[in-house]
Amino acid sequence: MTFKDQFKFVRQNLKKNKSRLFMTVLATAIGVAFLIVLASVGFGLHKSIISDMMQNQLVTQVEIYGKEDSQGLTNEDITYFEEMEGVEAVTRRNELAQMPFFHLDDYTSNTNAIVTHFPSEIKADFKLASGRLPEGENEVVVGYHFTESLIKNGANPEKLYDDEGNINEDYVYTDDLLNKEMDMEVIKLTDGKETKKTISVKIVGIAEKPARDWAYEEHVFISEEILQEVEQFTGVMRGATEMYEGGELDANQSEEVYDYVKVYANNVQEVEGINKTLEDKGYMIYSIANEMKQINVIFLIMKIGLIFIGTIALIIASIGIYNTMTMAVTERAPDIGIMKAIGAHPRTIKNIFLLESTYIGLLGAIFGTIVAYGVSFLVNLSVPFIIQTAFDEAAPEGLLLSYIPWSLTLISVGICLLVTVFSGLRPAKRATKVDVLKAMRREL
Amino acid sequence: MIEVNKIYHSFEIGKKEKKTVIPVLKDVSFQINKGEIVSIVGKSGSGKSTLLNIISGFIKPTEGEVKINNQTVTELSEGEFASFRLQHIGFIFQNFQLIPSMTAFQNVELPLTFKGMNEKERKQKTLETLERVGLAEFKDHYPSELSGGQQQRVSIARALVVNPPLILADEPTGSLDSDTEKSLLAFIKQLNEELGITFLIITHDEEVAEFGHRTIEIVDGHVLEEVAK
Repeated sequence: MTFKDQFKFVRQNLKKNKSRLFMTVLATAIGVAFLIVLASVGFGLHKSIISDMMQNQLVTQVEIYGKEDSQGLTNEDITYFEEMEGVEAVTRRNELAQMPFFHLDDYTSNTNAIVTHFPSEIKADFKLASGRLPEGENEVVVGYHFTESLIKNGANPEKLYDDEGNINEDYVYTDDLLNKEMDMEVIKLTDGKETKKTISVKIVGIAEKPARDWAYEEHVFISEEILQEVEQFTGVMRGATEMYEGGELDANQSEEVYDYVKVYANNVQEVEGINKTLEDKGYMIYSIANEMKQINVIFLIMKIGLIFIGTIALIIASIGIYNTMTMAVTERAPDIGIMKAIGAHPRTIKNIFLLESTYIGLLGAIFGTIVAYGVSFLVNLSVPFIIQTAFDEAAPEGLLLSYIPWSLTLISVGICLLVTVFSGLRPAKRATKVDVLKAMRREL
Repeated sequence: MIEVNKIYHSFEIGKKEKKTVIPVLKDVSFQINKGEIVSIVGKSGSGKSTLLNIISGFIKPTEGEVKINNQTVTELSEGEFASFRLQHIGFIFQNFQLIPSMTAFQNVELPLTFKGMNEKERKQKTLETLERVGLAEFKDHYPSELSGGQQQRVSIARALVVNPPLILADEPTGSLDSDTEKSLLAFIKQLNEELGITFLIITHDEEVAEFGHRTIEIVDGHVLEEVAK
């Protein structure tokens, strides 16, 4: 008997008792929907946490804080990182050891200057809100909130901020920053005497807004060439205003150490290898990939637990299928007897009943999945509203309580089919054991 | 066509300690040749139905063997015998044994479906067979919508549709009136002459017994006599 004929035969049989079929499919659908919705909470929270973690961090990024038994990360280390397999770029930043003044038109800002190696930042895809990255000397990029650090010259300090702590409207810089020239003023102290130097810089880009609302970026990204100019003026490494031990500038700058070093991998797959090599070499690193690995393990356990609990609902539904199939075998015993008598192979009989339970399972899985997607959509729609109403505050941005990836749908449908086929096995086997003579005499 | 060799069969009644063995068939042997119509007669309880069920493969004999077309069918497993039946044996039952939820057409089509024949060929063959038994116009009727004679014709069509060389009939006229019985017997004769089908008919009806080429009488589980005509 071909599969197509078996399928037609099963459909014909199922039509004989529509209400029983409906109830069995309904029970299975509820089981599947329960399983998917329950597990989708695990998937949703996992996704929310991971996307929150990745807002500020790239998965391919590895931060390096230093090396065991070492003063700091030097150019030698940077070269080593750059030569590592799978590394796309190595960015390094240092803070200028003094806080320069930046004069722009009538406004002045006293903010940090971050010495940045722009060629590597270009490779690492430094994100800009507008403009471009520096190409020529004395070109700089400013942080997204730089304007907020600019204060009008001669402003009354008492009226600088309004009642809410914001800068008074009259003192806020409102012009476009791009392509503006500004003066960077650095100082040096010699025997308590202050000398000033002004370096003219041009703003060519504005950095992208930090992903987190609370993060503030007012600083100015300057090039290593500008740093050299400052260092030549102060005669001290990183342009510190006063000499400190070991800080004297040496000719080759071989002892330059970096505050912030980040390694960018070519792709996610390379990160684990890079992390391992760096850790083995004694570097102290932080990689979101490492943290994600731990979070993924925790969530994997949680998801397995939820799927396991959901499967119990399906097992309960499978009792219904077992019952339905057993009744079907009993009711159709005379027909089974006739079929066997005229030459139906026991295997064919078994296949027909197995197909019947699988068909019920498949219908339940399809309807259950549709319901689960609907419930998931409603949950995600209503949760922010509930949080707003109950706690009078906005739900966390990007919160996804329920998320149904394809893998979850496939796992759930797979479990459903497995459970239903399993519950149909015994009745199907019973069907093959129907005694032809007793069945035809209607003694069963 | 059929060789029955030294068949013994007994039923066990009761539980362990009180088990009673009732012998039904004792040393039954006979042969049926290709193209014959043979009737097996005997009183109620003589063992004739048990004999037919052994030949059909519905029960295994306690001892002895049955050969059909030189194949020792008593050695076959349940599944193998089912396949063998599908290829070689057609059945006609006293109570017609049609599936009530299927139309006449579907009932006749069923053995071809089990054979895995393609749909187009199957439909054509089924229709031809229903035409042969004169029921083409009733093809969409359910068994409950047909008379006893018509149902038996559907049953014959179902047996014929796979072109079996052998048809086993268990009291085929048992549920029919005398006019229908006559026409059914005439039809069996026609099938035998035209298609060369061998018929083994179990009956207690003398008229049916007389109609075949040969009669085998079973008395108390023994072959009492074979009457050739």
